Amino acid sequence: MALDIKKFISRFIEEARDHLGRLTQGLADLEQGIDTEQINSLFRSAHTLKGSSRMLKLEPITLVAHSLEDLLSALRDKRLGSSAGVSALLYQAVDTLTDQVEALEAKGEVAELNATQLEFCKKLSALAENPDLLNTPVTPATTASPTVVSEAKAEQDKPALKSTDTVRIKLSKLEELIKLMGELVSNHAGMRELATSARQLEKTAESKPNSHLEMQQFSRNIRETVLAQEDLMQELHDKALQMRMLPLGIVLDSASRLVRDMARSLDKQVECRIQGSEIELDRQMIDQLADPMIHLLRNALDHGIEPPAERQKKGKPARGLIKITARQDAGWVVLDISDDGAGLSLEAIRDKALKKGLVTEADLAEMSDQEVTDLIFLPGFSTSALITEVSGRGVGMDVVKRSIVDELQGVISVRTQLGKGACFTLRLPLSLAKMRVLTISAAGHELGFTAQYIAELLSVPEASLIKVADRNAVIIRNEFVPVVKLADLIGLPVKAKQASKPIAANKKALLLLVIRVHTEKLALIIDKLLDERDLVIKQLPEHLHSNTLISGMVTTGQNKLVSLLHVPYLLAKARKVRGTAKNETPTLGKEQRKRILVVDDSLNTREIERDVLEAWGYQVTLAEHGQDGLDKARAEVFDAVLTDVEMPIMDGFTLTARLREEENYRDKPIIIITSRAKESDRRRGIEVGADAYIVKGSFDQNSLVDTLKILLD
Amino acid sequence: MQILVVDDDPLAGEMIAAVLEDQGHQVFQAENAVVALELLNAQPGVELVVSDMNMPLVSGVELYRELQTQGRKLPFILLTGDDPEAARAQEPAIDACLMKDFSMEETLPAAIAKVMAASS
Repeated sequence: MALDIKKFISRFIEEARDHLGRLTQGLADLEQGIDTEQINSLFRSAHTLKGSSRMLKLEPITLVAHSLEDLLSALRDKRLGSSAGVSALLYQAVDTLTDQVEALEAKGEVAELNATQLEFCKKLSALAENPDLLNTPVTPATTASPTVVSEAKAEQDKPALKSTDTVRIKLSKLEELIKLMGELVSNHAGMRELATSARQLEKTAESKPNSHLEMQQFSRNIRETVLAQEDLMQELHDKALQMRMLPLGIVLDSASRLVRDMARSLDKQVECRIQGSEIELDRQMIDQLADPMIHLLRNALDHGIEPPAERQKKGKPARGLIKITARQDAGWVVLDISDDGAGLSLEAIRDKALKKGLVTEADLAEMSDQEVTDLIFLPGFSTSALITEVSGRGVGMDVVKRSIVDELQGVISVRTQLGKGACFTLRLPLSLAKMRVLTISAAGHELGFTAQYIAELLSVPEASLIKVADRNAVIIRNEFVPVVKLADLIGLPVKAKQASKPIAANKKALLLLVIRVHTEKLALIIDKLLDERDLVIKQLPEHLHSNTLISGMVTTGQNKLVSLLHVPYLLAKARKVRGTAKNETPTLGKEQRKRILVVDDSLNTREIERDVLEAWGYQVTLAEHGQDGLDKARAEVFDAVLTDVEMPIMDGFTLTARLREEENYRDKPIIIITSRAKESDRRRGIEVGADAYIVKGSFDQNSLVDTLKILLD
Repeated sequence: MQILVVDDDPLAGEMIAAVLEDQGHQVFQAENAVVALELLNAQPGVELVVSDMNMPLVSGVELYRELQTQGRKLPFILLTGDDPEAARAQEPAIDACLMKDFSMEETLPAAIAKVMAASS
């Protein structure tokens, strides 16, 4: 017979994957409570798998699906109640099926069930018949699972999250695309007509006296056609990009599987709850997301979730919880990966960072808890004291951060509470392919910035720049932001034509492009804003991959290529320039140097004030709000305190008043630096006991240093 | 011959259709009993129904009974992923009950031949 039913195998694999995804999701929901309709649909998936695998003579799959169906039907008919033990068995069956389908895809066949797997299937069916078996001393989950897993996994050297290399697209989406193409073709026909009439116009132009009227009509036609084409192109582009969007479920669904496998090998009990897997992301990003996700999940399991006994001792449920939630937030997709484990120990992080020489004691003293936590992202840092098999060695969070920030243009942050758990948050742009881009010119060069890094664009009079510690800064709403010339920062050669012009033109006003990563800001002096629009970002060619300054290219009108600058790199570079300047500060003996406490909630302001003061030989400690300042002031004695007014938790007025109640600070100079210029505020500052009140708008480093000098001597 | 195949699993439905088309039949497919009834109305030339047993809402046996009450006495072959005897026990009047499996390539045409011979 000519018919080869085996040709349906690839269809089966695809369909099986859908069903397995549904089963995995369904089992996770089941743990939240039994819903008959839900079990029905799970049962149906198992039943369908059984049926179609049997028609394709994939007996091993049929057997496992059959046992799974048996167990589900026992649940459906309430012959069996749901419990952690039953869940584990159901998951194990789904995992076995997943392995089989994967093997089928890779090798085109499914291996016969081995003895343990057969045993497992029998156990499921037997349990469905006789629910009491669950309570027999030999619990099925622990006896069967390690062997099955290790055998099935033997060929896989490392855990991986799956993503497919084919995309399934809704027919309707494809049809829309084809319809658009049709419109584009008819638009093109219009263009051809215009080309013909252009030739005609050319011919008759000289002979006809009133040809300019025809010309006018012609140019109107051309404008309309081009505008219509622009709309079509835009729509076509959007639709095409949408087709490349894939649901996050592609990565996330296999994540819960990965968590279960790793949990088994670590002898931990973990439930993995996933939310938002229907949210779509560009497939390019989905592919790149897999590695960092694996890493974060491994860390959560290995270092986060404690062994069951330890959890119970702490009064937590024996089974840990890892939650992956995805949500859309404007042009971003936000992924939270949280666990209810031990959390990150700040103490351990401090110790480790010190031991590795990543920071000094003095650095640590100034760091807020969040800043300490963020140390885990530094290269060469890894919190695990023990090197375990799962987390491996060598790579750490810095790699995760790099791939999120550099490759995915995203942002990663972490929050943690000791004993309660940790939560990593990834913010990812919806699509890498198209982003809002600002093109600007500096020293005659055209350059691009992706909008997510731009805080604002403003024009300030040159005179409003203030000089602090030999660098320029500007005050933007109560915050000092360092100012550098973009051309100087990246060493752009000045184009001859432009050389003299900008200086003359910019005499009065400077155009500042304020860039931001997290809380760190930097103002770049640029010549001109050229354009702002959504552009397709092109990947860098191979030979430019090592260039950390450029993150991609865009094509603007007239087919010109413009480089996109990589903002995190610019900030790092600006910091480096600052760092070298700092080293030149006069080195007085430590004991002679006066100690100053600087309290301000803006990171930029704190750092600039520190730079100024250090340049003048003071020893500076930073605090990020009033309470932090008060704690630090109590812990050691400072010679003077500089504080901002508006801060979270405790403001500067309160801090001043509280310090005055302290024995050590009754007579120490306290200077308030603020953007509040109102007389009433100034009076209040003096009332609460400040010695000086400096308004940031009129900030001049000499006045600060002079004031300090007078007060300290 | 025109045959109606009813199966909620599109893959299974297509495989059954492939077997039948290979035999030179013309196949209509329906993914549930409601679509099946509509199709039968639209296609009076259909001479045989091949239906899956386990389907959401209306099962294969229920579809058979519905056809009987409507007076459409078409030959009916029931396919099932489970034990065919159990299905037959539910509705002994059904012309044939077959296990959906790899041997369907032979069993299904054989069953059709038998059922059609009996009904003519």
